[in-house]
Amino acid sequence: MGVDAQLPREHSLERIASRAGQITDPVARLRFLQGAMSEVAEPAGHALPSRTVTWPFLAWFRVWARPLRRRLQPHARRLEPLLRHRTAWAGALALGLLLIVPSQTMVPSNTGAPAARLATPAAGSVKPPTPATARIPSPSDVWLVETRDGIEIYSNGLQIETRETEANTPRRYRPYRLRSDLALAADERTRPAGVVYHTTESHLAAFAPENNRQLVRAGAGLLSWVRQNRSYHYVIDRFGRIWRVVPESDVAHHAGNSTWADADWAYLNLNHSFLGVAFEAQTNAGDQTTAVTPAQVHAARVLTEMLRAKYRWVAGNCVTHAQVSVNPSNMMVGYHTDWASHFPFAELGLDDNYALPLASLSVFGFRYDAAFLQRTGAARWQGLARADRQLWEEAQRQRTTVAALRSRLQERYKRLYAALKSASPHEEKNNGS
Amino acid sequence: MAHSETNAAPAVGLDIGTSRLVLARGASAQDYDTASQLNAFVTIPYARLTENVLKKESVPHTVQGGHIVVHGSESERFADLLNVETRRPMTRGVLNPSEPDSLALMRQMIASLVGANSRLRDQQRLCFSIPAAPLGTDDNVTYHEATLREMLVDMGFEVKAVNEGLAVVYAELESTNYTGIGISCGGGLCNVCLAYLSVPVLSFSIDKAGDYIDQRAASVTGELANRVRLQKEDSFHLNGASPNKIHQVLGVHYDEMIQALVQGLKEAFLGARSMPKLGRPIPLVLSGGTAMPRGFRERFEKHLRAAEFPIPLAEIRMAENPMTTTAKGCLVAALAEL
Repeated sequence: MGVDAQLPREHSLERIASRAGQITDPVARLRFLQGAMSEVAEPAGHALPSRTVTWPFLAWFRVWARPLRRRLQPHARRLEPLLRHRTAWAGALALGLLLIVPSQTMVPSNTGAPAARLATPAAGSVKPPTPATARIPSPSDVWLVETRDGIEIYSNGLQIETRETEANTPRRYRPYRLRSDLALAADERTRPAGVVYHTTESHLAAFAPENNRQLVRAGAGLLSWVRQNRSYHYVIDRFGRIWRVVPESDVAHHAGNSTWADADWAYLNLNHSFLGVAFEAQTNAGDQTTAVTPAQVHAARVLTEMLRAKYRWVAGNCVTHAQVSVNPSNMMVGYHTDWASHFPFAELGLDDNYALPLASLSVFGFRYDAAFLQRTGAARWQGLARADRQLWEEAQRQRTTVAALRSRLQERYKRLYAALKSASPHEEKNNGS
Repeated sequence: MAHSETNAAPAVGLDIGTSRLVLARGASAQDYDTASQLNAFVTIPYARLTENVLKKESVPHTVQGGHIVVHGSESERFADLLNVETRRPMTRGVLNPSEPDSLALMRQMIASLVGANSRLRDQQRLCFSIPAAPLGTDDNVTYHEATLREMLVDMGFEVKAVNEGLAVVYAELESTNYTGIGISCGGGLCNVCLAYLSVPVLSFSIDKAGDYIDQRAASVTGELANRVRLQKEDSFHLNGASPNKIHQVLGVHYDEMIQALVQGLKEAFLGARSMPKLGRPIPLVLSGGTAMPRGFRERFEKHLRAAEFPIPLAEIRMAENPMTTTAKGCLVAALAEL
């Protein structure tokens, strides 16, 4: 429920109402009232500034003076001496103009900044996957052919550079049982449950032949940094080369505070439970596509195919960092927003995972705001609306309100998060993008 | 309505409702045209013959794979012929997450309302209605508003949103300086707004509205909700005799809806802080298709008076044109921006 405004002193309102009553045209009357009320009304929760309280007569002039000043603004330079003593002058001028200028000429400005024009089509531009793209590849689809000179070669054309690999903490985690109020799984897992795609947000030179040395140097610098910090399992550089930096059996610090859920399990802090694959790229917000090279997309496709064949992942567990990243301090999603839009799911043989309900919303009670929606761009995630709907339906089922349910989910998340932190107090912070 | 594309009005008001899309276009609050489309669609199996007939009859449709999607007002007729329910791009006042093509379909329907000439949209002000969050929930309408806003901007408009209840105030209450309560009883929600000198002071919605009545009546009688709605709009009369079971059941659920609305009003106004000192009784205006059956206003007033509503009311009346009130209010809001 919105309590939209707190209202100013009565005498101001009476004068405004009286003046409005003299305006016959309904639109002009509304325009006048919107302007007058925006001058004196304050948004809920804000106190009126003292000057408008201690000088009621002056406040009455302000109702008239400010719109008048706005009209005079284009001529500001010539009228500067007048504007310097604007309040006094405007008051006198307004009193005089009241007799001769119709109030219809006052045009309020109470709208926010105009919405930007979009350059790209709205939702629905992602091709729906055919049944074949959603299928889990079988181990016989992709196998390791040979390892030669530090490069693993696979049957689907995948080649993985292994010379930069550094060991880290072995993977060990227990997911939460979705249908048992998030009870911990009895057994400890060592196989990753899925993959999170990132962008490295590293320095990028223009991808052109004349920048070859810069591109190579930047790539080498990136790999060195990633290796030092064990930031991702795989890095796909701009030439489409795939570097294994952390073994799949070990943890990489790529996801930090994060949540995801599939049909059976929920996952917290995906460093242990998911692999991290980073594109050497920078995320562009909203409707701008993130610039990755065709070679990178191809490399990601064959890598994803190999990993899915190996670990038998459902397509829904191949997600972007923006889909899983959360901020526990304010219970909002989207702490990191890499790949918040235009991730090439279809090109990687995956379904449009932006359509999956966000577990952070429907399972853990997180929220999102307009700023996050701006990052996701015009192709709105169906997953956000679906998660809202799931939350609402669950609240209906439990005969409670969405607010109360969300509050309980958040409390549950905080308990699980605290337990996780106390179980691994020396876990390094997320050093991902 | 036959809107002239060669005479581009400066502003457009668009009521984006669960049940209907209504457009008002004109240069003033007294001189404007309206058009409406049912906010629904139905899919039928593709056949070239069918497609040709639809084109010949100028029935709005698109071909998607092996299906033809008929959208807008004609979808109701096809749904009745095929004995199926129409599908809805919106539910409970917001975009329907179960319909992945909802936005694309609504864009086509809105485009057919505003006209094909996109040049005329440049710099044209459009104000569209958005619901308030249902009382007692924490539902998020941010996604809905932001998505529609970007779609309309992409169509070439300069866009502003206005609360649906407030739009009723703008359409009907200029004589009281836009002070009073506006209620829009639509398909998905009943939206309420108390405004004071055009400033929205309190706004909320109740999630029992036309669709709730149709679906409950349909489940009891075994009829399609679509057919129940047609009967409701055609001949239903609250307080009148019930010629058949559907009317009888409709009466029961209408009562339920009105009582929920009255209870919500009472709770919201009793619980609100910082209410203005109104000084004198204020008017309350009812609008929307769900409020149109004869006897609705009387039944609503009876329940409201019995509930001892805390705000003194000067009158409880119906809007002049309940089906187009919200659109008119959006038009007034858009014109006021010029």
